[in-house]
Amino acid sequence: MKLTRRNFLAWAGIAATGAIACDVFDDELKVQSPALIPEDLVSGRDTWYATYDASTPGGQGLLVRVMEGRAKKVRGNPRFPTNQGKQSPAADAILQSLYHPDRIAGPMLRNGPRGSGQFRPITWEEALNRFNAAVDDRGDGMLLITESRGGSFARICIDFANAFGGRHLAYDGLDDAAYRSAVKDVLASDALPYHDIENATTLVSFGSDFLSTWGNPTAYGVAYGKFRSGEHTHHRGTHVHFGARYSLTAANADKWVPIAPGAEGYAAMAMAWGIADSHPESSHVQAITGEAGLGALSQFAPDANAGILQIPDAVLGGKSLNEFFHDMAHDYAAHGGLAIGGGGEAGAYSNGKFNAAATLMLNFIMGNVGHDGGLLVNPAVENWGLQPNVPPATLGDWQRAAGDISNGATRLVIVHNADPVYGLPPGVGLGDALRNESVAVISSSSFIDETSVMADLIIPDRAALEEWGDHLPEPMPGYGVYGVQQPVVNPLPDLDPRSFADVMLASAADLGRGDMMPAGSHEELIRATAANIAGDFDDVLRYGGEWDVNAKGETPSPSGNLLSSVAGMAGPAAVQGSGDFQLTPFAHNTVLDGRNAHLPWAQNAPDPVTTVAWQTWVEINEKQGREELGLREGDVVNISTSAGSIQALVYLNPGAPPNIAAVPMGGGRRAGSEYATGREARESGNVMSIVAVSANDAGGLTWSGNRCTITPTGDSMAVSKMEGGYTSREIGEHPAEQVFKTVTGEGGH
Amino acid sequence: MPPLPPTRQLIPMALAGLLATAIVAFIVVVLFMSWFSNPPFGWGNAPAQPIPFPHTVHAGPVEEGGHAIQCEFCHRNVTTGAAATVPAVEVCVICHKQVNGANAKADVAEPETLINIQRVLDKHADGRPIDWERVHRMPDHVRFVHEAHLRFLTQGEERTVTLPVGDEEPMQLPVPVQEACSVCHGDVASMTEVQPQDGQSLKMGTCLDCHRENDVSTDCTVCHK
Repeated sequence: MKLTRRNFLAWAGIAATGAIACDVFDDELKVQSPALIPEDLVSGRDTWYATYDASTPGGQGLLVRVMEGRAKKVRGNPRFPTNQGKQSPAADAILQSLYHPDRIAGPMLRNGPRGSGQFRPITWEEALNRFNAAVDDRGDGMLLITESRGGSFARICIDFANAFGGRHLAYDGLDDAAYRSAVKDVLASDALPYHDIENATTLVSFGSDFLSTWGNPTAYGVAYGKFRSGEHTHHRGTHVHFGARYSLTAANADKWVPIAPGAEGYAAMAMAWGIADSHPESSHVQAITGEAGLGALSQFAPDANAGILQIPDAVLGGKSLNEFFHDMAHDYAAHGGLAIGGGGEAGAYSNGKFNAAATLMLNFIMGNVGHDGGLLVNPAVENWGLQPNVPPATLGDWQRAAGDISNGATRLVIVHNADPVYGLPPGVGLGDALRNESVAVISSSSFIDETSVMADLIIPDRAALEEWGDHLPEPMPGYGVYGVQQPVVNPLPDLDPRSFADVMLASAADLGRGDMMPAGSHEELIRATAANIAGDFDDVLRYGGEWDVNAKGETPSPSGNLLSSVAGMAGPAAVQGSGDFQLTPFAHNTVLDGRNAHLPWAQNAPDPVTTVAWQTWVEINEKQGREELGLREGDVVNISTSAGSIQALVYLNPGAPPNIAAVPMGGGRRAGSEYATGREARESGNVMSIVAVSANDAGGLTWSGNRCTITPTGDSMAVSKMEGGYTSREIGEHPAEQVFKTVTGEGGH
Repeated sequence: MPPLPPTRQLIPMALAGLLATAIVAFIVVVLFMSWFSNPPFGWGNAPAQPIPFPHTVHAGPVEEGGHAIQCEFCHRNVTTGAAATVPAVEVCVICHKQVNGANAKADVAEPETLINIQRVLDKHADGRPIDWERVHRMPDHVRFVHEAHLRFLTQGEERTVTLPVGDEEPMQLPVPVQEACSVCHGDVASMTEVQPQDGQSLKMGTCLDCHRENDVSTDCTVCHK
């Protein structure tokens, strides 16, 4: 058709009319809100909230950066008295607990055999009905297992268990029962003391890896930096470490004195002997020894205990043991030295309480208790109306709990953020007991683990960054500190967790026991507690807690029989089983006792000494490993004790003492997230599964006291580590071939 | 008077004349509406939205019962990009996961409000977007960058300017973001239903006046694609 002016106008009119009639312009006048936030559009303003992280040893104050309702980053709260703006590498990983793909989204009911991990989603209404029915029917046979903490949550847990005639136990895989017991005996305090490293001039440590996982490593790390730089003393602090393992603390010391496993108490007493020998006129020595001086310490004369201490001749440098400790005491202890340790690995021997008590007492002999640069006694928090931290249950408690489940006295087990089935040796029998179908198991954990997988019903709690909480750092920094955890974000839209504290409170109210509970809601209790302590709740939230530098603990005067009391505990560490090596488990720097094994950042953070990540390794003396056992790095070995066997990859460490097999905790998880379980048995083993069941002198588990054999399997694999021996270089000429390949470099094998 | 054409020729000519008249009339009407209405076809009134969104409740001052949410919390690209962007439904759910009928106390929220909140939650649960009616619209050939304009209004040294928008009173700059938004959009925080600022033109003359007033380039390519 010929396009005339008339035709053009006609068609234009028809097109315009048609466009309007067909609503073609309609979309032009609309603007769409997509259902989900576009991930590539990052903008908006950040907001920083102060809160508290209780998942890492000692706890720490944090600031959390929140954008668009999502937590993006954590950093230490610079105002918080313990960590002073720094944070543990494990704290970074708590963000992943919010967004973890394996996080339990909502309530679930078991629909397969117990322990199979087969669950089906149910509604909260059904879940709470089932929870209430279980508590109503079986409450008098209830065992409530939670993590070890204090404050409002602990108050609610204790009251909930008591309201129904049940029992509450706190679990901590890093059992430190011996140290707690020693503190109570030596310092007459339930609160763990603080070591004022920051203001100390010299430091003597015994066994405990306080720069990595013992005590409050973040706070101690900050203080250690100031101690080393002489920020307050104007002199670089000097440090000697006595211990059987080449730990991060040993690696940082000016002098590391390798001693026999479990000899920390004797080393501390030898140092006391050295002080009495070099400074017999010291009033502190006179006070502790009842003016008997060196004679009162004669049984701890170093030469007399050479067989227990087993300090290598190369370290002694030609001196006798008496001369060595005389000089060490002069250099490190006689002038305001601070003694730290005796807990953690050192407290996990059969003589753990002696190791801890001797270390604590050494501070009295050095006259360094109750003032700056010394051992500071922390205040009791009951005066604030706070529930103190519930100490972890002892081995005996767990054995009784397993027995009660087996014999039917316990008919309901409720577990919250605790994994004793993984962390306790199988010989305790808790895992086997929970397979008994006559006991009902309810988990309020946010992730599947070896214990929660046994549950019949799962009612997931909110993550720490989504939930209220209040905490007591342990240890506090020598004065009262109250940390408050506030919900900085809401759960993601596809998650539907509920506060377990509120579930307990609501259940008690529904079942007619509301009057036995401390409040109507967790938040209400925290607000009331905070108001009692601080007054202005907004300030508490703004600063992340409340602290009072004048609220100090009472420094005890050493009783006349302190020395005899500690000496009465003395005895060499007993060992379980036989073998050429002493098995020395230790808490992983970020995975800890396995509680963070599901968090990729925690797994991916290299161990600070070996740089190994993701795997379970066994540190063996390099010379002994190569020459006596013919081992090379990456060899898969069987580690066998009297209680069982696991496999691990060999890491030959020239710094490791001979006959010590150091293995990190946290590997070998077999239930839950793939990040925790997704590796073969030969590179991921649970060292606690081969620990013999034996209690120490304070009732704690002797997880350090096992002998083992190391047997090559003939298998090997690459150790996932960052340190040298390997280089990367580009190979290939064609662009498609230009990939980075790991090749052996000089010094590698 | 010349004789009329034969009837067989007259009918097509009349039809063609009517068609031409209709087309011209249509074009005139469109131009008229485009010029005098804002947005086009809306005559400046607030268009009905699929789900009522009272800015008074969300962005209004706390003293007046609002929640004082900052503009850029929802329109999160406004300080960094060209488009202010409307928030994803998921952004609504950040708060309304808690603020909803299931958690509301009976005497606090109107039932109709709770129904509307539930509609938002349902949209999110079903993965369906919300199609809002556009209130402010620029022609396709115009490039308007929010970020640059907000930067002018919210940053720099203290100065007094007179802008040919709003009440045209002298303004002390810089101002906070929410006040900067109000320069062109009016006091949205006080609007139950958003509508263009009274008397506000989004036409080229306004842009040119403001650019000239503040020594900003008036080169065509600055604003035109």
